[in-house]
Amino acid sequence: MWQTSLNQPNLSEEEEKKALARAPSLRFRFIVAGVLVIGVIAGLAINLIFDYSQKLADLSYDRLLRSALLQMDENVGLIRNEVSIDIPWSAFATLAQAEEDRVFYKVESLEQGFITGYQDLNSFPPRFPVLDEIQFYNQAYSGEMVRFAWVQRNIIDAETAQTIRIILGQTRLSREAMAASITRKAVEVVVLIALVAITLIIIGSHLVLRPLHRIGRALEDRAVGDLTPIDINTPKETHHLKVAINHFMARLQTNLAQLENYTADAAHQLRTPLASLKALAENARDIGNSDHYSPEKQRQALENIVKQCDTLNQTVTLLLNQAVVSHRLQTHRLALMDLLVPVTESCREQALVALRQGVHLSLECDLKESLILGDRFSIQQMMQNLIENAVRYSGQDSAAPKEVIVQVMAFDLFYRIKVIDHGDGIPDSEKERVFERFYRGRYDVAGSGVGLSMVRDIVNHHSARVKILNTVPKGTTFQVDFAKHRFDGDDQ
Amino acid sequence: MGIFQVLCMVMLLHVGSVWSADPVWFGSQDNTRVLHVNSTMDLASFEPILKVFVALHPDIKVAYRDVNTLDLYHLTIDQHKQPQASLVISSAMDLQLKLVNDGYAQTYQSNFTERLPSDFRWRHQVFAFSLEPVVMLVNTEVFPGDLPEDRQSLLQTIRQNESIMTQRIGTYDIRQSGVGYLLASQDARQADVTWGRLLEAFGSHQVRTYCCTHEMIDDVASGELVLGYNLLGSYASQRARDDKRLKMILPKDYTLMLMRTALIPKQAPNPQDAGLFLDFLLSDSAQKMMQTQGLLFPIRPDANIPNDPYVVSAPGPTGVIELDQQLLVGRDYAKQKRFIRNWEMALEISELVP
Repeated sequence: MWQTSLNQPNLSEEEEKKALARAPSLRFRFIVAGVLVIGVIAGLAINLIFDYSQKLADLSYDRLLRSALLQMDENVGLIRNEVSIDIPWSAFATLAQAEEDRVFYKVESLEQGFITGYQDLNSFPPRFPVLDEIQFYNQAYSGEMVRFAWVQRNIIDAETAQTIRIILGQTRLSREAMAASITRKAVEVVVLIALVAITLIIIGSHLVLRPLHRIGRALEDRAVGDLTPIDINTPKETHHLKVAINHFMARLQTNLAQLENYTADAAHQLRTPLASLKALAENARDIGNSDHYSPEKQRQALENIVKQCDTLNQTVTLLLNQAVVSHRLQTHRLALMDLLVPVTESCREQALVALRQGVHLSLECDLKESLILGDRFSIQQMMQNLIENAVRYSGQDSAAPKEVIVQVMAFDLFYRIKVIDHGDGIPDSEKERVFERFYRGRYDVAGSGVGLSMVRDIVNHHSARVKILNTVPKGTTFQVDFAKHRFDGDDQ
Repeated sequence: MGIFQVLCMVMLLHVGSVWSADPVWFGSQDNTRVLHVNSTMDLASFEPILKVFVALHPDIKVAYRDVNTLDLYHLTIDQHKQPQASLVISSAMDLQLKLVNDGYAQTYQSNFTERLPSDFRWRHQVFAFSLEPVVMLVNTEVFPGDLPEDRQSLLQTIRQNESIMTQRIGTYDIRQSGVGYLLASQDARQADVTWGRLLEAFGSHQVRTYCCTHEMIDDVASGELVLGYNLLGSYASQRARDDKRLKMILPKDYTLMLMRTALIPKQAPNPQDAGLFLDFLLSDSAQKMMQTQGLLFPIRPDANIPNDPYVVSAPGPTGVIELDQQLLVGRDYAKQKRFIRNWEMALEISELVP
């Protein structure tokens, strides 16, 4: 019924603040995850930019280098069978566009040897040399990293054939400066984008979580006992939360209403017998003062009081048992037990009471043991209620054989308990309603109206099935099925 | 024979004589801060500047050595592991630039060098502190007919006065003078055809070649020469100022403009004071001094002084020799060899026998 935390968390404001500080923040996680992702992406982008700007700078300055190399190549000629080169001024004017970069070159012929330039330059490119194919590569020379262009080709005239090789190099200052300026610009843009994205995430996280705060505030600001649904406008994403809270409140309201009814009815249940008890007692007192006094009459009146006390006692016991059962159902876990034990026990207890009302109670059972998962006390209470009920409704018609039979049978998957009476039976229209709390089929028969609703609670709690059948020729049969416990399963 | 063997031989030829020359000292002899300056500049032009410098920095003494441009180049390379000089000043821009390109100079940066327009420095390692025209110097008393205003009219005069002009034109021996080679190669670059004809005319009239500017100017002044071709404007203007017979002519077809440059060798013993001196050369006071005292042509002359010969007003276009990688082309080993051989052939001079 009511499930509450065992140690009531009546936290002080300070403790609540501490708990708030310890609690993980959704917004913080969201921002951290966002910043991490953006950081990784920005890092990758910057890495790519570094690579790309280097390539771009090399590409543009390699064009200058190639142009200068080709201009030099054009001016290689054979004079009297000797290779010679007249380097054009324009070739170096091209290179001078890289304002601060030193220039190194070497021209040599495979047959003739060194022709001009810097003799100690390395003549061999890193990749396999192919005739007429310009190679670009970086190599250290004269204490600096130098970008070289390399070409080798055959030069032929009528009398000689020679292979000449031109190596032209330029230091990398301008390239690095260009790459750095591209990189700086691009990195600025990337950082700007990243910062904007992070700002958006921070603002976004605030906006996204605001409806939650609004719902929280709406609940916080409520008057005590206000259980009406929340009707603030919230976005789709928090709609479910709102609906869940509203459903929860509706259930709470139902439960509260039930509790209210129960309390009112319990009071009513107690008040009526108490009032009649008082009336009977007054009657017994007044008999002594009246003119028609006779000891017979007074004994009769006292007998009525005792009967009424018994009824009251039953009602109170039932109410208390119900409270105990509902508490046990909330707090006790189901355990392995023998179903026959509570059934036998309750039959034994009720047999005498039934006999007093002229009803013969019998138990029909061939089983030695019937293991189920259940709560012994609750099941005993259930049996007691069913038997009491059967006994109570058996005694109305004196003509019928007064007998209540309890049967326990085993099936493949379940055990079936039947409580059979031969009373007037329950009309089909009421079969569904008898389990309702405080519903009483007949007001001329004593009863509290809570017994069968308690049966329903216990059955539900055990995931069992209850059915109301008609006894032939007349009467009612309550049939309850409990699932067998199976050891091979993992249901422990 | 490789280039290095050639260089070594040239070194052996020249360095010995340079080495014996004692430096001229400025500043107190007791000073411990010593700045050695190797320079191609005549001491006469530089002395006032040096004096002002040591006056400004009384704790520095300066040793000044006057060296020929080509010798200075080889000396700097030869001493590159342990140079004596902390500052190398030369008018041979191409050799200075090649020293920088080949990694013999160190970087220097100061407020003064940063203020310098980027055309006047390269890699923050070589800095120009003067920009002067390359001129013809004539002795008006012996020159036949009208003074030439450009190279064409000079050629005409030579053709018309063959006997007078024979053996009476002087120019640099490009094999001995670094700056002479630079000017000749720039002439060839600027106007190849004119240069060829001029060289031919020089050859047929037995031009006289000089290693150094002074001797050439002396010979023009004495009337032994009618004309000196491709002289440095700063020397010519100094002499023309004092000697009325001498006339400095800026050729109208084009006037070459030459920078004098300074660099600090990589392993220089005293780069701090070399930097100080360089800053001083670039300072407004030194630049102004160059102009007002008629020592050198400053980079940005004060144009407010009327009729100042140190404010270059060339009659025709000027060809500023650019201080960049292009200068390396002129000093290309193969090109240089061919150029000198052609020069020798044209001038009908037998090869220089060491």
